[in-house]
Amino acid sequence: MTMTALKPVTTVPTTAEQCNAWIAERRASYALKPARDQFGESFLALAAEFPQLVAVTADLMNATGLVAFGAAYPERMINVGIAEQNLVGVTAGLASCGKLSVAVTYASFLSLRAIEQVKVDCAYNGMKVILVGMAAGLSYGVGGPTHQTYEDVAVMRAIPNMIVLAPADAVEMDKALRACIEQPRNTPIFLRLGRGPEYSFNAPDTSFEIGKAITLRDGDDLCIVANGAMVFEAMLAADALALEGVHVQVQVLNMHTVKPIDRESILDAARRVRGILVVEEHSVHGGLGSAVLEVLDQGHNIPVQRIGIQDAYPPIGPTFALRASLGLCAENIVVQAKVMLNRVTL
Amino acid sequence: MAVTPAMSAMPATPSYAAAMPFVPLSMVQLREMARINRVDCTNMYMAAGNGHFGSSFSCVEILTALYFSVMRVDPANPDWADRDRHIFSKGHAAPTLYSSLIRRGFMPAEWMHEFETEVGVKLMTHPSRRYQPGVDVSTGALGHGLSIGVGMALAGKMDRKDYRVFVLLGDGEINEGSVWEAAMSAAKYKLDNLVAIVDRNGLCVDGRAEDVMPMGPLKQRWEAFGWETFEVDGHDIPALLPLLDVLRNQGNAKPRMIIANTIKGKGVSFMEDVRGWHADVITPAQYACVVDELKEPLQ
Repeated sequence: MTMTALKPVTTVPTTAEQCNAWIAERRASYALKPARDQFGESFLALAAEFPQLVAVTADLMNATGLVAFGAAYPERMINVGIAEQNLVGVTAGLASCGKLSVAVTYASFLSLRAIEQVKVDCAYNGMKVILVGMAAGLSYGVGGPTHQTYEDVAVMRAIPNMIVLAPADAVEMDKALRACIEQPRNTPIFLRLGRGPEYSFNAPDTSFEIGKAITLRDGDDLCIVANGAMVFEAMLAADALALEGVHVQVQVLNMHTVKPIDRESILDAARRVRGILVVEEHSVHGGLGSAVLEVLDQGHNIPVQRIGIQDAYPPIGPTFALRASLGLCAENIVVQAKVMLNRVTL
Repeated sequence: MAVTPAMSAMPATPSYAAAMPFVPLSMVQLREMARINRVDCTNMYMAAGNGHFGSSFSCVEILTALYFSVMRVDPANPDWADRDRHIFSKGHAAPTLYSSLIRRGFMPAEWMHEFETEVGVKLMTHPSRRYQPGVDVSTGALGHGLSIGVGMALAGKMDRKDYRVFVLLGDGEINEGSVWEAAMSAAKYKLDNLVAIVDRNGLCVDGRAEDVMPMGPLKQRWEAFGWETFEVDGHDIPALLPLLDVLRNQGNAKPRMIIANTIKGKGVSFMEDVRGWHADVITPAQYACVVDELKEPLQ
């Protein structure tokens, strides 16, 4: 499977510069959609279908796209003010009485400020709640370290029974939200989302199953495992690697579910390819890369390289420029892939 | 497991789920049930080697009133959707809750013998919805209960149900900021189906609650947050009952706060209002004294 809306390739790149220019041209050919707009649209549509669906937010109804839902269903929109601990507790209480309750706020506050409520009120109590962490990763890059979020996956992953999802684009976000609602287990789900405009590349008929990775592209040389906004960058990189004179065939795995992780897809890749490259908009400590390594920690002799946020506070800046400055972009994925395959040395 | 003196002293227990049909107890029976509750707690703590005596004894009358007179619950159907809910937010006094649930028929009486004794037992220091029928919410980390109660009360309003939600808070526990977040939201959403009770025993782990963190005029504080507030002797069952047993959805559009003035370690002379009995080991000699003192219901 390849990305939809393929534009004609104007030049076949043969040098690194041409490759980067090709990636930039390709990237610019895709539509951008604000994550919060998509979330609001998806939530409103699902609310009509699921009468028990209730949203709880902490003064971020506007910022998370819930205004239309609140106007259509005022009795199902709970706003607790700037009080994230209460936000999560109230959400758990609603769930215990049969509501499909969804806590919606920024990922940083949900995963750090209210984490004990997440652990005790939601997970330990066995509540089916959906915890929507918006503005995750560097999607609020100008917000600085208080709003940039690179710990949430590590923290949420450590909580027993927690499901952790990071959909790749607007289309997948819509499907992931439905999957959360239809998920039968009494266990909380953390849904990690972006904030502002993000590239949308998935076809509307893409399937989404919690715990099942999606192979977006096949290849036997290298496997790129990515989730969230990094899937799009991984796809650009894989296409570029195939086109450039090196003819490297790269498998791209969209690992939208970090927990429970799709072990089979990872083990299958480990048997076939020469290296695994993990790309995540999260700290390299405890996120998707760590989850992949946990699958490979027993006798799988395959090189694994992780591209993520290193153990330092990232700079402050606009999302895409900031991601690029930290290597969270197709251009750097191409370089790291070539390093892994010994095609270049840094 | 060997039979300890604690176990042989345990009074006769109604069999599991045999308490139905339930008739609210008379005042004399409620006082006797409160006495039995303190003996049960003592036995559990004796078998475990130590326990939160002070905090457990201060809330006995409140739980006795709730489970044996006020709350609409069904031990044969602990997850009954229309039941009244109780959140035991000050989770470390769990044996008081366990005794109430066992005597009310939610859990087998044998479980009381296993409190904290082995890996995998049903009863531990803090109550758990995962293992214990009748426990609506697992608690232990302080400051969580009122928020969950707000969520339950909101769900009741949305579904037009007439159940009530009771949340028992410790007075030290309300130092937690999350309690005041919850207090604000309960008032905003006019949750008159929510009743919170503060077990105002005045002692924390480190000393006098007012020294550890002054909470000032508590009644006025809750009033200022938009609650209808009451103050009562928390060991006086006749005084507690009418405050707890308000009409469901009474329609005055305010959540209800009952500040129950209590004594930590109530009922045992050497434990009453003594900081050290927040949690301590009980010797066999002390155990004998406690059982002796608890021969008669408190008046």
